Amino acid sequence: MSVSEMPSGQVLLRVDEVSLRLGGTLILDRVTFEVRDRIRQDQVTGQVVSLLGPSGVGKTRLLRILAGLDTPDAGRLTGPDNRPLPPGSVGFVFQHYPLLRHRTVLENLIIAGTCNGMTHDEARQRARQLLQRFQLDHRSSFYPAQLSGGQRQRVAIAQQLVRHKGLLLMDEPFSGLDPAALEDVMRLLIEVAHMHELNTIMVVTHDIRAALLVSDTVFMLGRDRHPDGTPIPGARIQGVYDLVARGLAWREDLEDQPAFLQLEREIKGRFRSL
Amino acid sequence: MRHRIVAALLPNRAIDRTTALLLVAAWVLAALLCWVFSPFATLPTPAEVFAALSDLWWRRGLGPEVGTTLKLILHALVLTVAISLALSYATVIAACRPLVEAVCKLRFLGLTGLIFPFTLLTGGGYPLKVALLTFGMATFFTTAMAQVVMDIPQERFDHMRVLGASEARILWEVVVRGTLDRALDITRQNVAIGWSMITMVEGISRAEGGVGALILNQNKHFRLAEVYAILIVILLLGLLMDYGMGALERLLCPYAHLERVRR
Ligand SMILES: Nc1ncnc2c1ncn2[C@@H]1O[C@H](COP(=O)(O)OP(=O)(O)OP(=O)(O)O)[C@@H](O)[C@H]1O
Ligand SMILES: [Mg+2]
Repeated sequence: MSVSEMPSGQVLLRVDEVSLRLGGTLILDRVTFEVRDRIRQDQVTGQVVSLLGPSGVGKTRLLRILAGLDTPDAGRLTGPDNRPLPPGSVGFVFQHYPLLRHRTVLENLIIAGTCNGMTHDEARQRARQLLQRFQLDHRSSFYPAQLSGGQRQRVAIAQQLVRHKGLLLMDEPFSGLDPAALEDVMRLLIEVAHMHELNTIMVVTHDIRAALLVSDTVFMLGRDRHPDGTPIPGARIQGVYDLVARGLAWREDLEDQPAFLQLEREIKGRFRSL
Repeated sequence: MRHRIVAALLPNRAIDRTTALLLVAAWVLAALLCWVFSPFATLPTPAEVFAALSDLWWRRGLGPEVGTTLKLILHALVLTVAISLALSYATVIAACRPLVEAVCKLRFLGLTGLIFPFTLLTGGGYPLKVALLTFGMATFFTTAMAQVVMDIPQERFDHMRVLGASEARILWEVVVRGTLDRALDITRQNVAIGWSMITMVEGISRAEGGVGALILNQNKHFRLAEVYAILIVILLLGLLMDYGMGALERLLCPYAHLERVRR
């Protein structure tokens, strides 16, 4: 089957003309995009989309709106079947991986379950499973202050997975990692995404290469500029790159592909104009 | 040994436990030497103070006086903690904030001017002393604790919201449990504030005793050795309570000392 015939499934997330003003300045200007279910024969395929854009353009704010933490001034968010995203259906891994500092790793995960109506025993069982999967079982009685940066990140991700969330938002999960840790996180992220056909992970990052390596779709958020170079307030989606259609998704040898390197260069070039 | 001395003298160095104990011992020794060789004739010698202490303890019932004072302080402390924590947690409700602000500002009043109105309210005696001490401590406690609650980063609330926690659960987990170590810390400071106000409070009705009343009586008769002896007892009791609170904190909040920056 050629890529153009690749079926694409139902809409999982639609962001429709979302605008946001902060302190009188227009930050987001009618941001519109959608994420559809990616379908591969005989394979459970979740979705990984990246949101790229210059610093200060409004990426974190957009994630906060998707998570229901901020209310947009205009626009609509809908999930599957064109219905509003049910509360509690969106996970959010914050940039600095906040955890409850007075709770152990295990308790942090258990609370994530009991907050959501799981019984203590169910939550505990699920927490143990996740800790094992993320190779954290030997750290389950540690407090957050005793974790390394990478462990803390894995706990923060695991905490969001205690309760199944269709949409998981991650703000800069690749910052400050050494190359090996970066690969681990990318693998983990892909693994989590493909746990369920309708899973969507949305990653905000400044690391273009990492974004291209994990994603099936890349969105560029940016502002327009006046001819003299000053940005016009209000960021929009300036570009959508469908990596599946380009044959640049779901494969191991991406970094050897000329098309991959070319796309990376192209996106870097676009960045300068945003 | 050399590197220990170097570490102890240079800024921003971490030292091990033995060095820390040696340092404390050295300072205590220095303080004792200062005392023994002090040129001030008014300062009683250690021997005089020790004699006064044994006289106070064995013949003038210093023990029961200490008991009286401890009971007063603990009573006021329990009330202070209950009132101040309730007020501090209430700052999460916008409607309560002005009230809490006002209570915090009352700490500027001091206690002396309040004796009269409080006497009218409580009828004097033990309740008056408890009320004054509680007032004195609670205003400081609320000031410190309300600030702690207001300084909780927004991120902690957002984090719990994303997990799906109800606002009541967030209040418990983030505001109450999440600041427990700070509450204990502030309680610890407040015990010291309580001790520093004790002379004033117990001086109101000396007949009821207590170390504060005792010290005022010795003061009146210029019995300096006795005064110093009582001061030393107060200092030791304070240290003991401070140590106890510290141990309690390490027991209840083992995570807190993990986060403390150790240079
Ligand atoms: N409370 C606020 N009042 C006014 N402007 C704000 C406020 N909070 C954020 N902003 C502005 O909103 C813009 C978007 O912020 P946001 O944190 O979403 O940026 P970002 O794209 O995530 O940047 P970065 O990549 O650096 O994290 C910024 O220009 C910021 O100055
Ligand atoms: Mg950001």
